[in-house]
Amino acid sequence: MPHVFDREQFLDRHLGLSSDDRAEMLRVIERDSIDDLLSATIPEQIRLRASLALGSAVPEAEVLSMLRDKFNNDVVRRNYIGQGYYGTITPPVIKRNVLENPAWYTAYTPYQPEISQGRLEAILNFQTMIAELTGLALANASLLDEATAVAEAVTMARRVSKNPSNIVLVEKDIHPQTLNVLRTRTEPVGIEIILGGLDDFTDVDAFALVVSWPASSGALASPQSVAASVAHHRSRGVITIASTDLLACAQIIPPGQLGFDVAVGSAQRFGVPMGFGGPHAAFMAVATEHARSLPGRLVGVSTDTAGRPALRLSLQTREQHIRREKATSNICTAQVLLANIAGFYGAWHGPTGLQAIARRVHALASAFASLAASKNLSLVSTDFFDTVALQTPDAQGLVSQARQHGCNIRQIDERTVSASFDETMTAQDVVTLLLAIGVNATLQDVNNSARADQNASLVRTDQFMSQSVFGRYHTEHEMLRYVRRLSDKDLALDRTMIPLGSCTMKLNSTTEMEPITWSLLADLHPYVPADESVGYRSLITDLETMLCAITGYDAVSLQPNAGSQGEFAGLLAIRAYHRSRGDINRTICLIPSSAHGTNAASAVMAGMGVVVIACDESGNVDVQDLREKADAAGERLAALMVTYPSTHGVFETAISEICEIIHQRGGQVYVDGANLNALVAVAQPGKFGADVSHLNLHKTFCIPHGGGGPGVGPVAVRSHLAPFLPGHPLAHHDDSTVGAVSAAPFGSAGILAIPWVYISMMGPDGLLAATGDAILSANYVARRLVFLKLPSVRSVRLFINAVVRCM
Amino acid sequence: MYVDGANLNALVAVAQPGKFGADVSHLNLHKTFCIPHGGGGPGVGPVAVRSHLAPFLPGHPLAHHDDSTVGAVSAAPFGSAGILAIPWVYISMMGPDGLLAATGDAILSANYVARRLRDVYPTLYSGPSGTVAHECILDIRGITKDTGVSVDDIAKRLMDFCFHAPTMSFPVTGTLMVEPTESESLAEVNRFIEAMLQIGVEIDSVRQGKVDIEDSPLRHAPHTVEDVVSSNWARPYSRETALFPTPLLRTRSFYPAVSRIDAVFGDRNLVCNCAPIEEYAMSLESITLS
Ligand SMILES: Cc1ncc(COP(=O)(O)O)c(C=O)c1O
Repeated sequence: MPHVFDREQFLDRHLGLSSDDRAEMLRVIERDSIDDLLSATIPEQIRLRASLALGSAVPEAEVLSMLRDKFNNDVVRRNYIGQGYYGTITPPVIKRNVLENPAWYTAYTPYQPEISQGRLEAILNFQTMIAELTGLALANASLLDEATAVAEAVTMARRVSKNPSNIVLVEKDIHPQTLNVLRTRTEPVGIEIILGGLDDFTDVDAFALVVSWPASSGALASPQSVAASVAHHRSRGVITIASTDLLACAQIIPPGQLGFDVAVGSAQRFGVPMGFGGPHAAFMAVATEHARSLPGRLVGVSTDTAGRPALRLSLQTREQHIRREKATSNICTAQVLLANIAGFYGAWHGPTGLQAIARRVHALASAFASLAASKNLSLVSTDFFDTVALQTPDAQGLVSQARQHGCNIRQIDERTVSASFDETMTAQDVVTLLLAIGVNATLQDVNNSARADQNASLVRTDQFMSQSVFGRYHTEHEMLRYVRRLSDKDLALDRTMIPLGSCTMKLNSTTEMEPITWSLLADLHPYVPADESVGYRSLITDLETMLCAITGYDAVSLQPNAGSQGEFAGLLAIRAYHRSRGDINRTICLIPSSAHGTNAASAVMAGMGVVVIACDESGNVDVQDLREKADAAGERLAALMVTYPSTHGVFETAISEICEIIHQRGGQVYVDGANLNALVAVAQPGKFGADVSHLNLHKTFCIPHGGGGPGVGPVAVRSHLAPFLPGHPLAHHDDSTVGAVSAAPFGSAGILAIPWVYISMMGPDGLLAATGDAILSANYVARRLVFLKLPSVRSVRLFINAVVRCM
Repeated sequence: MYVDGANLNALVAVAQPGKFGADVSHLNLHKTFCIPHGGGGPGVGPVAVRSHLAPFLPGHPLAHHDDSTVGAVSAAPFGSAGILAIPWVYISMMGPDGLLAATGDAILSANYVARRLRDVYPTLYSGPSGTVAHECILDIRGITKDTGVSVDDIAKRLMDFCFHAPTMSFPVTGTLMVEPTESESLAEVNRFIEAMLQIGVEIDSVRQGKVDIEDSPLRHAPHTVEDVVSSNWARPYSRETALFPTPLLRTRSFYPAVSRIDAVFGDRNLVCNCAPIEEYAMSLESITLS
C-alpha cells in the first residue's frame, strides 16, 4: 500500500504502458499475466526466481542529490597533467543545443540516411576538419580513443603495407597509455613492437612506424629530420603513422605535410569535457591511397533519386557485420556525439579562432618554460607546443610539492616532469604553477616572457579549413540556427519511437542525463590523484556491484568503450586464463553463423581462429553441429561465443546444454550480453553457465546512442576470470596480467552516472517490470502483424519468444 | 518628464535619458538587456529616476529598509529576481565598448534594411539626415491603396519564407515596423530583404493586373503542406511558388501548421478550454507522426 509521504516513482515515467494497456496487450497475445508470459518465454532452467540484490528504487526527485553527495569530499586542484587530456571550453551554445539536446543525443547511427541528413552533415564537418587540420586527404567518422586509434592504425598498416615484416617501430616518447593499449592489441596477433628513437630505426625492417607529433613529453623534433625519416621508411614499404594533437596542428606543420600516411589522435580538447577519461572522439586521417582501408565509419556524398546531393555512410561493405572474420576492425559503436561536438567547435571558432587559441596556449607554455628553467630545472626541449618538460633531480618530490600547492603536474620518469596548458588557462594559472614548484614570478613576468609564435621552421603556413562551414557560424544566432536546422532534418527519439531490433532504443531520461554536464563530473582529468576522484570511484564501485548483482557474475571492468571492446576484453580474459594454465594451444573460437559481426572480428583480434557453427531456420544453434565442431577442436577449443537471447530474438532452450558441451571440453563460454534487456531480473548469464559476457550500457542501461556513440561495453566475468580483466598503467592498483583496452582506466567514466541513476531509480522491481513490458511489447507487435498476414512475416514461430531486436 | 525607455537599444552608450532632460524612465530588460521573451514573458521593467524622484520609488513591506512613501508594485521586493543574472551577465561580458558597438550595429542594420527596401517599401519616418534609429517603419498604405495587398498579406507571406512577421500596424496602422537588432548576420538580414523584395515582385503582379489579389499567393499565405499537396489544387500560381518562393527554400524544414486563421469566427464562438478528446482525434494522430 503506498504511503501518503511516498514520492512519485520514476518507473511510472519510464514505462510506456499503463495497466489498462498491459491488460489489452496480454489479451491480444493470449496470456494471463506478465508472469505467465515470462514463464512461456524464458526456459525454466535459467529463470531467476529471486529478486535482484539491489537497493530499492530511489525517487526521481532524490536521486541526483544522492549522486552529488558522493562528490562532496573530492579535493580540487588545478590540473596541468596533459598526457592526452586537456581542459576545454564547450561553447555554451553547443553544450545546450547539442550535448544536452535529445534531438542529437537520442539519434541512432545514421544507417537510414534519408532521415539522418543533419547528423551526417555534422559528421562530414568533423571528417573535413580532421583532414584539414592533419593535412591529410580524408578522415573517418571517429574512433573510440587515442590509444585504440593508434592500435587501429597499426592493424590497418599491417593490412596495407607491402612489407612482410611483423614489426612496428614505435618512437619511445609516446603516451604510456597508448603504448600499453598498443601492446594489448598487437601481442595476440603476433605483431612485435620495437621501441626506440628515430635514429635507432634506420635499418630495421618493419611494416609500420609510429611517431608522436608533438611527442608525449611535449617536445617537437626538427620537422626536417622527422620528414626525412618518414620518407626513408616509406620508401621501404613502411606505413608511417603520426599520433598528433589537433590544436597543435593549427600552429605547427601537421603530419600530412611531414609525409605521414596516417594521423590519429583525440578530438577531446575541441570542446568535449574530460569526464575522468571519456567519452571523447578519436580520429584517423589517411592519405588518399588508404581511403578504402580506413576502419570505422565514413560519411560520404551521394545523390538521391532526384539527383539532389545527399549524404550517407560510405563503403559499408567494410563493416564487420558483413565482412565478419575477414573484417578489418571490430569497431561498431564509435563516438559520433562527441565527434559532432568537436566538429561544431571547429565551425564555431573557424581556422582563425583555432589559431588564436593555439597561440594563447603556446604563449602560456612559453612563459612557463622561460620562467621555470633554472639551474635545477632544465628544459628537455626548447621547441614545444603546449607541454613543457623539465629535468629535475627529484621528479617525484616536485610532483608532490606542486600537489601540496594545489597543482597537478605529470611525472614522466624519475628525473622528468611536465606541465601542459590549455584554453581554460590564464596568465594567473602560470603564476600559480610557478609558485607551486618554487619559482617566484608575477603576472608582469608572465606577460613579458610569453611568446605566441613558433620558430619559423615549425610554423604551419598554409590555409586550412577554408570550407564555408568553418566561416559561417561564428555568431551565436548563426550557430543556434545551424544546429537547429540540422537536427530538424533528423528523426530521433524526441520525435518518434525507433523500433530498431538489437538496439534497445528505450528512454534516455532527463534525470539520467543531467549529471553528465555537471562540472563535478565533466571537468575531471582521468589521471588525477585518488583524493580528487573519491566521488567517481564510489560511483564506479557502486555500478560494478549493481552490474554483478544483475548479471550474476563476480567481477566487472567498466574500461571497454563499446560492446566491441568488451568482447575483445572478454576474449583476452579467456585467452589469458587458458595460458595461465599452460593451455597455450586453446585458440579456437566457435561462433554461430547468426552472430553479430563484431564477435568474429573480436575473436580474430584476440588471436583466435573462428569456426562457424550452423544454425537452424529459427536462428537456434545447431547443437549437433556444435558438438561435432567442439569435438573436432579438441584440446584447441578456447571458447564458444554465443548471443543470448539469440540474435533472432529467441531464448534458446538449449542454452544450458550448450554451455555444458563447451565446459566438458575445456572451453569457456562467452555470452554476448549486448542485448540484456530481455534478461534483466529474469535470468543471469553468470549463473546459467556462461563464464564471461559484455553488456552494452548504451542499450539496456539507458546511455543514449548519440547518433553512433558513445557507448560503454563493460566486461563481466566469473571469479576464475577476474584476474584477467583489463589492467591499466595509470590505475591506482594494477595487478592484472592483461593490459589496458582503453586509454583511460575507467573508459568513458563521464557517462557512467547514466546507468547508475537508471538502476538506482528503477530498483529490483522496476527492472523486472521493464523486462516484462519489453517482452510484452515485442510479442504484441509480432502477434498483431501476424494476424495482419503481412507478407514479410514469414514464420509465426520466429516471433513466439520475440524480444525487441534486429541486425 | 517621463521618457518611455522600453526601447533603449538605440540609446545605450550613445545617449542618456537621465541626462538629456527626462526625470523618469522605465526600461525593458527583456528587450535591450537579453532576457528572452519566453513567448510572452517573463519581463523585467525597472524604473529609473533622477534623485528628486528617488524617495518615491516603489517600497515593499518585506524589504530590509523601506523608507519609501509609495507602496509596492510587485509581490516580491525585487520583482523577478530569478532572471536578473541575465542582464548582469550580458552587461559584464559586453563592457562599455561592447555596448557601444552593439548600439552601432543595431542602428546600422536598421538603416541598411530601410535603404535596401525603400524603393519598394518607403520608410515612414526618418531623422533630418535621412537615417532611422534601431528600427524602421515601412509604409504599406500606398501599396494597399493601389493593389489591395494588406499589411496582413505581407506578414503572412513572410511565413512562407520561414520568417516571423515584423510588428504590424504599430505604432501606425498600415505599416510594418522592422527591428533587425545587432545580433543578426548580414546573411540573415539579406535573406529578409530578399524575401521582402520577392514579395514586392508578387505585389507588382497584382498591381499590373496579372493576378487578382484574391487568387494571389499573398492572400492565401501562409501555405500549409496539406493545402499544397491536395489533389484539388486549383490556384493560378504553382505549388512551388506557394511553398518555395525562392530556390533556397526547397530545403526548408519549417512549415506553418495551419493556414490563415479566421479571427472573427473565433471571437464570435469563444472557446478557451481544450475540447473534449474526441474532437481532437484527427490532430492527435497527426501529433504522433511528429
Ligand atoms: C549482439 C551484439 N553484439 C555486439 C554489439 C556491438 O556493440 P558496439 O556497437 O557497442 O560495439 C551489438 C550492437 O551493435 C550487438 O547487438
